Amino acid sequence: MISLIKTAVGGLTGICRAHGHLNGPLNSHMKVLAAGLKTYEIPPDYSDVVLPDKPKLKFMNKVPNLKKAKKEMKKLRDIQGPARAANFFTTGQYAIVAMGGGYLHWGHLEMMRLTINRKMDSRTTFARWRINSPYKPITRKGLGQRMGGGKGAIDHYVTPVRYGRLIVELGGKVELGEVEQILTEVAKKLPFPAKVMSRESLEALQKKQADMEQNNQNPWTFKQIAQGNMLGIRKVLSPFDLHSHGCFTGKFHIPGRV
Amino acid sequence: MAATLCVKYLPKQGWLPLTQSVRHGSKAVTRHRKPMHIHKQKLMAVTKYIPPPKAAPPGAYITATNRVQEENSLVILIKKDLEKLFQNCRMLAVVQNNASNAEDMRLLKHRLYKHGIYVRFFPNKVVQSFLSDSIYCNMAPLFIGPTAVVVSKEPKVKEMLMTLKSSPQMTLLGACIDNTLLSVQGVVHYSKLPSVAVVQGEFVSGLVMLTSNTASMLQRNPTHLSALLQQYIKQQSPESVVEKAT
Repeated sequence: MISLIKTAVGGLTGICRAHGHLNGPLNSHMKVLAAGLKTYEIPPDYSDVVLPDKPKLKFMNKVPNLKKAKKEMKKLRDIQGPARAANFFTTGQYAIVAMGGGYLHWGHLEMMRLTINRKMDSRTTFARWRINSPYKPITRKGLGQRMGGGKGAIDHYVTPVRYGRLIVELGGKVELGEVEQILTEVAKKLPFPAKVMSRESLEALQKKQADMEQNNQNPWTFKQIAQGNMLGIRKVLSPFDLHSHGCFTGKFHIPGRV
Repeated sequence: MAATLCVKYLPKQGWLPLTQSVRHGSKAVTRHRKPMHIHKQKLMAVTKYIPPPKAAPPGAYITATNRVQEENSLVILIKKDLEKLFQNCRMLAVVQNNASNAEDMRLLKHRLYKHGIYVRFFPNKVVQSFLSDSIYCNMAPLFIGPTAVVVSKEPKVKEMLMTLKSSPQMTLLGACIDNTLLSVQGVVHYSKLPSVAVVQGEFVSGLVMLTSNTASMLQRNPTHLSALLQQYIKQQSPESVVEKAT
């Protein structure tokens, strides 16, 4: 492009020279014109992006369609530790990633769905759920009821989310700057710390963690000490620590540990 | 009364030594973090991540590419000039230039020029790289900061010192005179030495005196002998005999 313009300018000056019109001011003007050219960044190529038929987030059921609803125990394990499913991108480019464990209610899902569907441009962007609709029953006793008399009735359902799980995935012919604001607005309202991440930044995060594990200069690791039960340390550690290696306390992630 | 007094010596009953009271209830609270046991806190502190030592910051060491870049034509020209200077000049004094203004510098140059001494300026990097390859590599530490080189074909140290004394901004750091590296003290001593012609004259006069001495010493014995003989003849002469008789 630039070379083309340069040749054009060169040709022009050549013509001037040929006609004998080569004078000082014109020549300096030419130089200024050549210096003022700006190189624009090449816009990203979205030729391989295919938008799905229904780009918006689907409605999620408030209550699962079960024949017989059964009461469950608390089972706090389902928010502890790192996510084992849906911890990387499938079709999208940008996502809200959970930075801790927690339970999502139907209200949260509805808030996310409405906000994202309203604010995103459905002609260029699509959004996908990476979580299931609420399936874990939470029981409550009715108001004014005396204690005892067995477990309460099912009050509502929630979706457990672990650290590192993708909640919503966005993709299409957009850049991060266009959708970041929508996603951060949503991520702030979630019941656990959540971050907006792109495919590259999530990969970088995981790579950084792997590098830290590789290059740790500390000869003593939590895993080695906990599994070897050195000085009877297992007395104060939970069985959960044997798997998480001190990176988690319950649903909370402790950053900067290996 | 007795019981209270003897309590000290009786084994304590119903007393457990330093047990940790562990609470087993309310594990379902996920709102906040559970307080960590002190042993676990210690374990977490011991097993912290320690990053590998940081690599040297960029630019701390001269890279190979930098070294290659240095050899441009100007540098080569300056190096050639330096080489010529070191070959031709018998005196090369390194002087630190402590913010002397143009006027002072002009005056100094003029004063030195009267004695056939020149002030030259070279970039330190080029000088260092030149010196590192040459036999004058011991001079390299002198070229730090704003330096100038005072050169002359003849070692006119006294004149140079006199002129430098008049300009306080210029500090002598050292000098290479007749391929000998001298400190400031050495330069001062060198300047106090008499000139070569005087030394040679003294030497020659000494030699001449020796030869004249030998000639005189060689002549001395025969003259002494002749004097003795003359005296002897005088004594043996008839006058003396007459005198004896009388």
